[in-house]
Amino acid sequence: MSERGSRGLKLGLVAPALLLLVVFNVFPLVYNVVLSFTNAELVGDGSRFVGTANYARVFSDPLYSGALRRTALFVFCAGGLELALGFAFALALKREFRGKALVLTLALVPMMLSPAVMGLYWGLILNGNYGVLNQVLGELGLAQPQWLTDRSLKFWSILLVDVWMWTPFMALVSLAGLSSIPPQIYEAAEIDRASAWTVFRRITLPLVAPLLGLAALLRATDALKQFDLVMATTGPNDAATQTLSTLLYQVVFRDGKVGLGSAYACVVLVVVIALATVFTRYLDRLKGAQVPR
Amino acid sequence: MKNAVRSLALLFTLLALAACGKSDPASPTSGTGASGASAKQRIVVWWFQWDPATGLQELGREFEKETGIEVVVEQIPLGSYQEKVFLEFGASRTRFDVVIGDSQWIGRGATKGLYVELTDWLPTVVDLATIHPRAAKYLCEYPDGSNRWYAAPCETDAVGLAYRKDWFADPAEQQAFQAKYNRPLAVPTTWEEFADVAAFFQRPEAKRYGCALPSDRSYDGLTMGVQNFLWAFGGRWHAEGSNKVVGELDTPGSVAAIEFYKKLVKLGPNGAERLDYGQVLEQFTNGSTAMICNYFAFFPGLAAKFGDKVGFAVVPGHNGKRVASLGGQGLSISTRIPKEQQELAKKFIAWFLQRKVQEQWITKPAGFTANADILKSEAFRKASPYNAAFADSVETMQDFWNVPVFNELLAVTQRYVGMAVDGEMETAQALKELAVEKERILKEAGLL
Repeated sequence: MSERGSRGLKLGLVAPALLLLVVFNVFPLVYNVVLSFTNAELVGDGSRFVGTANYARVFSDPLYSGALRRTALFVFCAGGLELALGFAFALALKREFRGKALVLTLALVPMMLSPAVMGLYWGLILNGNYGVLNQVLGELGLAQPQWLTDRSLKFWSILLVDVWMWTPFMALVSLAGLSSIPPQIYEAAEIDRASAWTVFRRITLPLVAPLLGLAALLRATDALKQFDLVMATTGPNDAATQTLSTLLYQVVFRDGKVGLGSAYACVVLVVVIALATVFTRYLDRLKGAQVPR
Repeated sequence: MKNAVRSLALLFTLLALAACGKSDPASPTSGTGASGASAKQRIVVWWFQWDPATGLQELGREFEKETGIEVVVEQIPLGSYQEKVFLEFGASRTRFDVVIGDSQWIGRGATKGLYVELTDWLPTVVDLATIHPRAAKYLCEYPDGSNRWYAAPCETDAVGLAYRKDWFADPAEQQAFQAKYNRPLAVPTTWEEFADVAAFFQRPEAKRYGCALPSDRSYDGLTMGVQNFLWAFGGRWHAEGSNKVVGELDTPGSVAAIEFYKKLVKLGPNGAERLDYGQVLEQFTNGSTAMICNYFAFFPGLAAKFGDKVGFAVVPGHNGKRVASLGGQGLSISTRIPKEQQELAKKFIAWFLQRKVQEQWITKPAGFTANADILKSEAFRKASPYNAAFADSVETMQDFWNVPVFNELLAVTQRYVGMAVDGEMETAQALKELAVEKERILKEAGLL
C-alpha cells in the first residue's frame, strides 16, 4: 500500500469520529463560550456582547455559590458513601455462596432503572402524607418525618436515593477489581502468615485502588450533574436541594437567560475539568506506584 | 487499498446525502399539514391538560362544522407547559398556531415579539366593553393601561374555596363547633374563621384534616396560594402604578399574611407545605380534608364526584378585604407561523368571542367566560354548582407580575417565601431580601 493510500485510509477511518466530535462536542462548547459573553435569551431576536458581565454575575450570585456548595457536598457524600458501601458489598460478594448470582442480579436492579422514573417512585415512597415509608413507620408507631419537605431532611433524602441507586455500580466495579487479583498473591501472603488486615491493607486495597479511583471519578462526574432525582422530588427551585444542573435548568429554560446560563455552564465545565485532572493524575500516580521495580 | 478508500468515500457520500435530505417543512401537527390547496385547513391550539381544554376542543368541533377548519386542542401536562411553549418560540415556526398562555406570560410574549399584536384587529370582532375589565387588564393587555392587546380572553379563573358540605351540615359537628367556638359552624368568610374551622376538623389520628392550600415550589403554587393572604392582609407585591418593591412588599401586612398562611399549612395533612394544584385536589377527593383553596377551573371533578356533598364559596377575607388570586389565560397567536395561519387563527378567535359561542362556552366544565354580561347572568351562575362563587370572585381577582421577567420574579418569590414558610428564614427577613432581589431583577430588565 502506498504511503498516500495508507494516510487516506487512516484519515477515512478517523474522520467519522472526528466529525461527530466536532459537530456534537467542539462546536457546542465553543458556541457556549461565545454565548456566555452575550445577553442571548431563549426567545426573542438578537443578542449583544456584554463582556464579562455574565461571569461577574456568576461569581457574585449567592444562588450559584449555594448550588455549588450543595453539589460539592452531594458529590463528596454520594461518592464516599457509594464507594465505601459498594466496596464492602463487593468484599461480601467475593466469596462463593449459594444464591450469589441471584443476590448480584437483584442488587444491580436499581442502577439499571431510569433515574427520572426512580425519582418519581421515590417521590411517592417518601411522600410525607401517603408515602409507603411513612405508612409503615406509622404502623410501627414510629415518627413520620417529612422526607421531602422538611428543610433539614430533603437534601439527605435525595442523597440516600442516589446511594441506593449507585452503590451497586460501585460494588460491580469493585468486584471486577477484586476478581482480577491473582490468587497466587494471596497464597504467598498466607505462607508468610500475613493477618487478614495486612492482606487487605497491603494487597487487596492497593491492587483495587486504581479501579476504585476510576469508579469514583465516573460517579463524581455523574453526581456533579445531579438533575433527575432533584427535579422529580423537590423541583428545580428549592433552596435546600438546588444543584448546579437544576439551577442551570431554571436559568436557561424557565428564565430564558441563555447567555447567563452559558456562563454558569462554562464555570461548571472548568470545575469538572479540574476535578477530572486531579483524579487522572491520582490514577497515573497509582499506576506508576504499581510498576514493578 | 484504493478500493477501501473508495468504499469509505462512497459511504460518507451516501451518509451526507441522507443527512442533507430535505425534510418535510410542514409540521405533522400544525398548520395545513401536507402542502397543497386541497389539504384540510387546521388550527393547532396548545393549552395545558385540564377540563376547560377538553371543553374548548368540543367547541372546536362546532367551529369545524361551520367553517370546515379543523381545530386541534393539544393538551400539554401543566408541569412542563411553560418550558415546552417557550422552547417552541425558539424555533422559526411553532407547532401551535394559538397558545393559551398563562396571564403572567403576556409581558414576555408581547415584548419578545412572540405574540401577534391584536390591538387594531380585536375591536373589529368584539366590543371590548363587553370584556370584563379585570380579564382585559390581566389576560390581554400589556403594558398595564396601554390599551395594547396581545391576547383575546379565553378562560377567566380565580382561586376559590371548596368545602365538605356534608361535614358542615352534620348536627354532631355543628353542636361540637358551637360548644367550642360559641358560634355556628358555617362557611368561613374571614381567614380567621377559616383557621378556626380548619383547626376544628384537624384530626390526624382519624386521618381527617382541616385544609389544604396550594404550596408547591416547582412552579407557582406557593405564590398563588400565598397571595390571597398577602393582599387581604394589606400586603402587596409592588407599589400601585409602579414597580417599586422595597418598602412595599417588606411591610408588616405582608409579614402577617405569610405568618397566617404558615399557621394554616399546619392545619393540613402531613407534607402540606408542598402541595401542587393536583395534590390539593387529591386531598379533597380522597375524602380526608374539610376545605381546600384552589382554582375554580379545577373544581368540575369535585362537583362530579361529590355531588351535593361539596360546596363552593369565594375565598375568605381579612378586615373586610377579600382578594382572589387570578389564574386565567388568553388566546394568543404565534408570530412564528405563516400569515395565512395567523388569519385562520383570527377566524377561530373571532368565532369564539361571539356571544352565542360564549354562551355555549359556559356550558362546558369550567368554561369561564370573560364576557361581563354573561358573567352577571343567572344562566352563568346556575350553569354549575361553582359558577356563582366564581362570578362573585371575578370582581376581586388580582394577578402576580406579568412583566417580561415574571419568571425570575416568580422563582425568587417561590424561593424566599418558601424559606419563610419552611422556617429557614424569619419571614420579615425573607421579605426584605426578596424585595431587594426583585428590584435587582427589575432594574436589570430596565423596568425600574
